[in-house]
Amino acid sequence: MVLAGVSVLVFSLIHLVKGDPVRLALGTRYSQEAYDALRARNGLDLPLVEQYVTWAGRALTGDLGVSFRSGEPVTALIGERLGATLTLAIAAILLALLIAIPLGTISALRPRSAVDRIATVISQIGISVPDFWLAIVLILVFSGTLGWLPTGGYVPITEDPVEWARRLVLPAIAVGVVSGSVITRFVRSSVLEALGSDHVRTAQAKGLPARQVFSWHVLRNALLPLVTVTGVQLAYLLSGVVVVEIVFSWPGLGQLALQAVQARDYPVLQGAVLLFAVIFLLINLLVDLLYTRIDPRIRR
Amino acid sequence: MTAEPLPVEPVPSRPARPRWRETLVLLARNPTALAAAVVLLAIVVVAVFDQTFAPYPANEQDIGNRLRPPSWEHPFGTDNLGRDILSRVIIGASVSLKVGFLSVGLALVAGTLIGLLAGFYGRWVDDTLMRLMDMLFAFPAVLLAIAILAIRGPGTTNTIIAIAIVYVPIFARVTRASVLGVREEVYVRASRSVGASDFRLLTRHVLPNAAPPIIVQTSVSLAFAVLAEAALSFLGLGTQPPNPSWGSMLAEGREFIEQAWWLAFFPGIAIVVTVLCFNLLGDGLRDVLDPRQRTLMAGGGR
Amino acid sequence: MRTIRPLALAAAGALVLSACGGGESVDTGGGGGGGGDNVLVAAVSAQPDQFDPHVTSAYPSFQVLENVYDTLVVPNAEDLTMEPSLAESWETSVDGLTWTFTLREGVTFHDGSEFDSADVVYSYNRIIDDELANSYRFANVASVEAPDPQTVVLTLTQPTPNLLALIGAFKGMSILPENAAEDLDLTTEANGTGPFELESSDASSTVLTAYADYWGGAPAIDGVEFRYVTEPAAALTALENGEVQWTDNVPPQQVSDLSGSEDVELASTSSVDYWYMSMNYARAPFDNPAVRRAIATAIDRAEVTEAARFEAARANQTAIPEDSFYYYDYAPFQADEEAARGLLEEAGVSTPITMGLMVTDEFPESVTAAQVIASQLEPIGITVEVEVLDFATWLDRQDQGDFDAFMLSWLGNIDPADFYEQQHITDGSSNYQGYTNPQVDQLLTQAATEVDEDARKALYDQAAKIIVDDVSYLYLYNPDVVQAWVPGLSGYRIRADRAINFEEVELP
Repeated sequence: MVLAGVSVLVFSLIHLVKGDPVRLALGTRYSQEAYDALRARNGLDLPLVEQYVTWAGRALTGDLGVSFRSGEPVTALIGERLGATLTLAIAAILLALLIAIPLGTISALRPRSAVDRIATVISQIGISVPDFWLAIVLILVFSGTLGWLPTGGYVPITEDPVEWARRLVLPAIAVGVVSGSVITRFVRSSVLEALGSDHVRTAQAKGLPARQVFSWHVLRNALLPLVTVTGVQLAYLLSGVVVVEIVFSWPGLGQLALQAVQARDYPVLQGAVLLFAVIFLLINLLVDLLYTRIDPRIRR
Repeated sequence: MTAEPLPVEPVPSRPARPRWRETLVLLARNPTALAAAVVLLAIVVVAVFDQTFAPYPANEQDIGNRLRPPSWEHPFGTDNLGRDILSRVIIGASVSLKVGFLSVGLALVAGTLIGLLAGFYGRWVDDTLMRLMDMLFAFPAVLLAIAILAIRGPGTTNTIIAIAIVYVPIFARVTRASVLGVREEVYVRASRSVGASDFRLLTRHVLPNAAPPIIVQTSVSLAFAVLAEAALSFLGLGTQPPNPSWGSMLAEGREFIEQAWWLAFFPGIAIVVTVLCFNLLGDGLRDVLDPRQRTLMAGGGR
Repeated sequence: MRTIRPLALAAAGALVLSACGGGESVDTGGGGGGGGDNVLVAAVSAQPDQFDPHVTSAYPSFQVLENVYDTLVVPNAEDLTMEPSLAESWETSVDGLTWTFTLREGVTFHDGSEFDSADVVYSYNRIIDDELANSYRFANVASVEAPDPQTVVLTLTQPTPNLLALIGAFKGMSILPENAAEDLDLTTEANGTGPFELESSDASSTVLTAYADYWGGAPAIDGVEFRYVTEPAAALTALENGEVQWTDNVPPQQVSDLSGSEDVELASTSSVDYWYMSMNYARAPFDNPAVRRAIATAIDRAEVTEAARFEAARANQTAIPEDSFYYYDYAPFQADEEAARGLLEEAGVSTPITMGLMVTDEFPESVTAAQVIASQLEPIGITVEVEVLDFATWLDRQDQGDFDAFMLSWLGNIDPADFYEQQHITDGSSNYQGYTNPQVDQLLTQAATEVDEDARKALYDQAAKIIVDDVSYLYLYNPDVVQAWVPGLSGYRIRADRAINFEEVELP
């Protein structure tokens, strides 16, 4: 239902944008015949509703059409970039969690102490820096001045694991630090919440040792918001972090979508947005599943 | 720009009657939030009186004097067209804050309204409205903003609209969650049985009690709106040249980063400081408005 | 904790999966791993849009196609005079209407098939009949015939002294094998006679491999990888690190730093490109010659050039650059604010006038130039609103005539007709500003068929004078071509027409 809604939305949006994709695809000089032919071939001379229905029908069978710009199938275009986007998103999320869980927990264990305040400011700075800015600085320092790491580009792990790893480091940091800072806040507040909960107070009142207090129950409740926010971040990262991709020449879905908007390449844009919506739904599903596993009391 | 974090947690489970004076006092006890608020106030003042504070007109070019490092005449240096960067940062403050406040303001009004209606009336109203919000939310934020700007054309005004549209679903969700928590409260039911009209209920009882998470969300959203404006300007879609905005100054500055670091450094710092303050303030508000934390704090507990 | 392990497993699994997903499209060597031993990695700023030479008009595509296809003749690397390529020699009939080309023997396409005159006929007829992007260059061609496999005859409707430049200036007029459009998907595949074969192309790079049977001798390198790096800082860092060996993504402000650097070999040459601004004749008051002249008088070209390009350009009030034989030394406008204001007053034009100036962020230098121009026009009462658009929108609005003024450049101009004709002749295919002047039309038409070089130059000089005085185009500057590569790289020639040819490159 949401999927349908999203696709209708993007369909209507893209057709609201000025700019004739046929003219853009043909370049500066072309004949009226060529124009008409390309238009007809892409079904652009049909009424909008019919265009949408045709597209939707084909999409259900997995055929997302071909790009106006290059004539390649949309699924192929998306497929070749999916790997790059997935890699970066997952690496960044892992890094983010690695930062957030320790930092947030320490903060929560000693709220409003000096440690907490410092950790707060650090993670807040992390959210406050524009990610493309961080990206440029990282390149200048680590690739330029120090020359340790390459400036970008993507190599699949199957080709060259070492290069794959080296190229992944800086982009993952640029994106992961920001996501990590976001998640830290949630770890902090949810651990605080869990610590303040009745379970814990009771356990503390009973004089139970710390290890038993910080039991699975406590942390389980703290996990719920963490899972949710991680899901949100992951969905965001998977829809492509356009500006970071541009700075690192990372061939991801974000750049594809941006180019599609600029070239008025409707099929590619619709295919990409459909994919993003699917990802969003899948992650929501995954989060819900994890919820029920973490806390059986929650039934959706 | 980064994704909006989820609606604020925790949602108060008991009605937290906002005692504003106490709130402010408690907030003031938090040194980081206090510092943030003060700095933010200073930034706002500078932004409002930008023309007064700026030593030079923002767009006055002086090619012969371009790319000069910071000096007495030009404390932040000059850019590639000889314009004074300090003045441009100051005028840029007014642009960035304007975009931030207006876009979040719009999103706040629209989103809160939708969330109120959805949370209060429930059932099919809730379903329809939230489905709409879901659809908007599932659309990647950056892409949505870019698409809106592609339709309406670039520029500051359209950037405000684009960012507002992107943030409406979040406010709707926060408001709705909060309203749901408050809806069944005794005082609400009591007022209802006394025959109070819906409108009165909503404005007098529901909204004030549902307010705290919305307030925190506003502060945090302001932070992200400033970042969003920077990202969109970086992509060339936001404020158009020659008018300065921190984001477009960063974009221009990046071309000269090796020879003239000051072009990008000062607007960058301005963004970080402003966004940081909004975030710290939001954090402080969150701590203060959560009834459990509040009790701890007011009681002097660590 | 129990839930973390499955998460970790899932994450690891997804990483591997994603690797599989990303690996399919890159077939051989290239793909980002450093290019292999003898493969040249070139950092270019954008991805080609497609590989059909007759259809594409994008420079990134031509960067690749230059090495994959051939034309009958090519511009010489030094002075851009036309020299043999697939055609070894040619003769013109006395009346100038018949050109007979003798083709090179022993040339093969990448698929091994032999090259002959039928391929030329096919290619040219495809361009003409399908009215593809460059068909205007064949406007005077009545027919293309192949009396024998080694000969092609072009019959013209009128004498065309610049025919060689028309058919050979760039790879838009490449020779494809017969029936190529049916046999191949030309947008993604290529079968040419050039020194390199198109191996693969994906979102990160385009890979070419050397063609051993190239008629000019097999290249010394094994292949070329065109890697897309939009960020200049990244491209230069990659060059200094040795990750790439060549780049053209050099911002002008870096030129002085880089020319002193030992890690990088920088080269620049004046180019045949020119940047210009023009106002829409269909919109008042820009149809008023006095307004146009006032603008031309208010603008300080030296300042604009300096701001936009630093040292890497020469200001010019005409289109053709200084080192060309056809250069016309004419600079009637002196930057003078007072005089400009006077012109406006005399014409009785009321100020302030608002002028939207369309530029595209595809070329950041033009955004800078536009801002300088805006500040120069403000004192005379013209408020310029700079409109920064993405290239697609910019082209669209230009096509629609939806603009007050626009700024862009023309690349790869070889012959004076390239510089002036289509932009200023009435209804010219590139005459978007809507200029019409019968005198200019007559001069340009005459010059197009004038065989004597000096007479031809005289005609173009006269036309240029009127074009400049009328301010059909407001010429700004000729930028330099700036490229950089690793020290020790040899066999590469930087060219004024920006064509990038790697056939003789040897890596250090």
